[in-house]
Amino acid sequence: MGLALVLPPRLVLIFLIILPAITAVVETLRPPGGSGFALTNYAHILGNRILRSDIRFSIVVTVVSVAVTFSLSYPLALYLRFNTGRLPALLAVLFTIPLFVPVVIASFAMITFLVNHGMVSTILYRLGIERFPALVYNATGIVVTEVWTTIPFAVLILGAGLQAIDDALIDSARDVGAGALRTFVSIILPLNATPTLITLTLLFIGIFGSFTIPYLVGGNAPQMLGVTMTNYLTQYLRRTESVTIAVIAFIIAAAVGAIYVASVGRRERQNL
Amino acid sequence: MRMQMRSQWSIAAALVAVAICAAGFNGSNPARAAEMVTLNLYISGDTNIFDLWKKALLPAFTKRYPQYKANMVELLHGNGSDGIYDKILAAKRAARTVDVDLWETEPGFLDQGITDGLWVKLSEKLVPNIAKVPVHTLEAADYYGLPYRGSSVVIGYNSQFVKNPPSTFDDLVAWIKANPGKFTYCDPNTCGSGQAFVTAAIYRYTSPDKFASKAYDVKEEAAWGPGWKLLKDLQPAMYNNGFHPNGNVAVLQLLAQQNIWMASVWSDMGLDWYSRGQLPKTMKFMQITPPLMGDDSRVMVPAGSAHLEGALTLINWLLTPEAQTMIIDVVAGYPGIDWKYMPESVRQKFKDVAKPFAPWPNPKYLADIKRLWHEQVVGGAP
Amino acid sequence: MSLSAAPAAAGGAPWYWAIGGLRRALGLGAFLALAAFILGPLLTLLVWAFAGAWLFPNLLPEFSLKWWYYVLGNADVDKAIRMSFLSAPIATLFSAVICIPAAYAFARLEFPGRRVLLLSFLCANAFPKIGLYVSIATLFYHLNLMDTFAGVVLIQVVNTILFMIWIPTGTFRGINRNLEEAARDVGAGPLRTFFHITLPIAVPGLIVAALFAFLAAFDEAQGTLIVGTPNHITMPVMMYTLVLSYAQPVGAVFSVLLSLPSLVFLLLAQRYLRAGYLAAGYSL
Repeated sequence: MGLALVLPPRLVLIFLIILPAITAVVETLRPPGGSGFALTNYAHILGNRILRSDIRFSIVVTVVSVAVTFSLSYPLALYLRFNTGRLPALLAVLFTIPLFVPVVIASFAMITFLVNHGMVSTILYRLGIERFPALVYNATGIVVTEVWTTIPFAVLILGAGLQAIDDALIDSARDVGAGALRTFVSIILPLNATPTLITLTLLFIGIFGSFTIPYLVGGNAPQMLGVTMTNYLTQYLRRTESVTIAVIAFIIAAAVGAIYVASVGRRERQNL
Repeated sequence: MRMQMRSQWSIAAALVAVAICAAGFNGSNPARAAEMVTLNLYISGDTNIFDLWKKALLPAFTKRYPQYKANMVELLHGNGSDGIYDKILAAKRAARTVDVDLWETEPGFLDQGITDGLWVKLSEKLVPNIAKVPVHTLEAADYYGLPYRGSSVVIGYNSQFVKNPPSTFDDLVAWIKANPGKFTYCDPNTCGSGQAFVTAAIYRYTSPDKFASKAYDVKEEAAWGPGWKLLKDLQPAMYNNGFHPNGNVAVLQLLAQQNIWMASVWSDMGLDWYSRGQLPKTMKFMQITPPLMGDDSRVMVPAGSAHLEGALTLINWLLTPEAQTMIIDVVAGYPGIDWKYMPESVRQKFKDVAKPFAPWPNPKYLADIKRLWHEQVVGGAP
Repeated sequence: MSLSAAPAAAGGAPWYWAIGGLRRALGLGAFLALAAFILGPLLTLLVWAFAGAWLFPNLLPEFSLKWWYYVLGNADVDKAIRMSFLSAPIATLFSAVICIPAAYAFARLEFPGRRVLLLSFLCANAFPKIGLYVSIATLFYHLNLMDTFAGVVLIQVVNTILFMIWIPTGTFRGINRNLEEAARDVGAGPLRTFFHITLPIAVPGLIVAALFAFLAAFDEAQGTLIVGTPNHITMPVMMYTLVLSYAQPVGAVFSVLLSLPSLVFLLLAQRYLRAGYLAAGYSL
């Protein structure tokens, strides 16, 4: 009975995600103009200096974005967990706002805000500061916008994990004289480990595979893989290369995804 | 927006009408003065082109020829063009007339239609004013499509900061190097004005015609080497150390915010922004030698059109200086007729941009230009 | 339950932490910085939407509504709005119909492979979406689904499934089994129990799921850009064109239009967010 109920979404999943993914992989394993299986396409992509640089760039930008988001979100989640009052309530509304802004709009808004001779730059110019660093159309712009759009997500998951930590545990730690930092390191961090891992891995996968933000806010080169593979498909008219890049992106994300699946699986087993 | 009434004219009647038209044709229409005819126009393009037709061209045409009414169907960015093509083709196969009297659309459909024999082959007999159109633009489409307007990529510059604008491509390159950070072009993936500048660098060292026809040979791309080197050397002198924004508008935005002083822009976009106050008053536009690329927009008349006579009357009228001046005034386009037929005042106003333009590379070469630009020019040190 | 309850610093904390005023000032400063970061870009865009012309170094533009007339008078905008408001609800409805029963099964029923299957839905999250869209495009080419309404809806459904499984599963799990068992004890059948006991309690969580699923479908741009052009353009896909090819105020005006459904849901969802439904789903 249960199996019958889960069948419809399962079929959609197979049809829309698994089948295309498998078709894609199979297509890329066929060498150009030949038959049988070979890794020619992958050698071609990985042998291309520009594409290697794009892969490196994607990983670095993603790691930096995840790190920044995480270091902003955890304190925010902690603050909201342990404080009540008007300010925390306001903060709680504030941080959810980016969740409701479509990514296209967020990117565009960030550009008008941070571009040279945009809002911030004009304000500083009026205050006498004429030189303004290049904050958009480069890796910095991508990181800032990714952080902006992913903070709510991270705070929500970390916050949910913190919510599950009993107040009694915190209190007893304080009763034996532990300071805030000690409590955090010894009690909170370990108990919140699974949501933390989930946050980090989902952030990585989401940012690594993003398209809109690097497309609108990024520079010309190097580019994030999402933009590269779309360009190969729609601009350079090279579908096989495009799909090969997609599979390479899958593999990198899957390595991180494996961590995510393992940690969720562990939590699932705790819940069942 | 579909027209309500359908006409019942047969092709024979239409051909007879055409013969009468051709004989006594200079704007008057004796044979059908009594009946109101509704012409169906299908226009593919952008909102500014729709405005051109709806607000300027068609009202003036129907005023000049009161026996005609016009019904216009808008195909934004070409949406729905496939359906129109199929309709015309199906009508031809069924040997019936079709209620598409005029179609402005992308060159791909023009070419395909020539193969399928769908269009009226234009001539001075059918469209007397065609004598005003430069022959090579007519020959480019074998006299099947009428290039009634054009647009070219030009150089836009802020005269407040640029006192002596360069007049040739080499001068432009020298200017860029002498004024680092004050010029850019948009990423060729995202805009024609960027493609124009990149292609100009390539054309500097090889012949444009080699890449403008349908032939495609990857080996020919070796001739692009010097062009890539030129562009790569220019990178440090570009805005923001070699940044190329996405889209025509981003470049215009940089010009507007005085982040840069000079850029390659589409003539009609630049002039449109200027007239709306989106660019500083000191902006000026000019064409360099050799000229940057440009494009003609063509209209076709389906051979099976139900109102052939009216369609031919319309396109003949399109080529009058009166109609062509509207094209300049409303969309800042280039006239389809030779500049020498335009009124003196107009020629004076546009003397800096009124030059012919270079041809576009074919889509396969263009795709490779985009890819190789990313690899060779912006892709980091070799 | 505040860590700042004791005025004297707990062992190990620096002395200035004990001064409530300084702590509040720091908190306020952090709040203002965050507010500037989050709201700044949005406010800038809002001003652009009412800018007739805005040239550097003016702090404010010349205000005008002319771009609103320009955008609202645009036939293409009309088409995109209609496409968005037609496809997103259909995608959400389709997703709800197939996913909610599955969520109930995951929450309540025992069947072989349950854990693996649930994990597999969460695993779909492990693929970079853009890579998926490129692969889906390849499949759609073969099936003639490119540039069709069905293709666009299917792409949107992909984005909704995760919300429609996660959040309802968490919601159903959170319902006290005793209530259902009590109903069974007095003789109600499983369907009756579901519709009269389980579903009413689950409704807020399901609404949250539907809201997020709708937003995910409505805001989907990347996949639709590949699969839906040129004839099936949704509002977010139009944004790309507007940002790249039109004057800045046009994109700003359209951003305001595109944000309206999100704004409505933000207000509606605030109640539910505070009640922790979304978190319950994510904490799966």
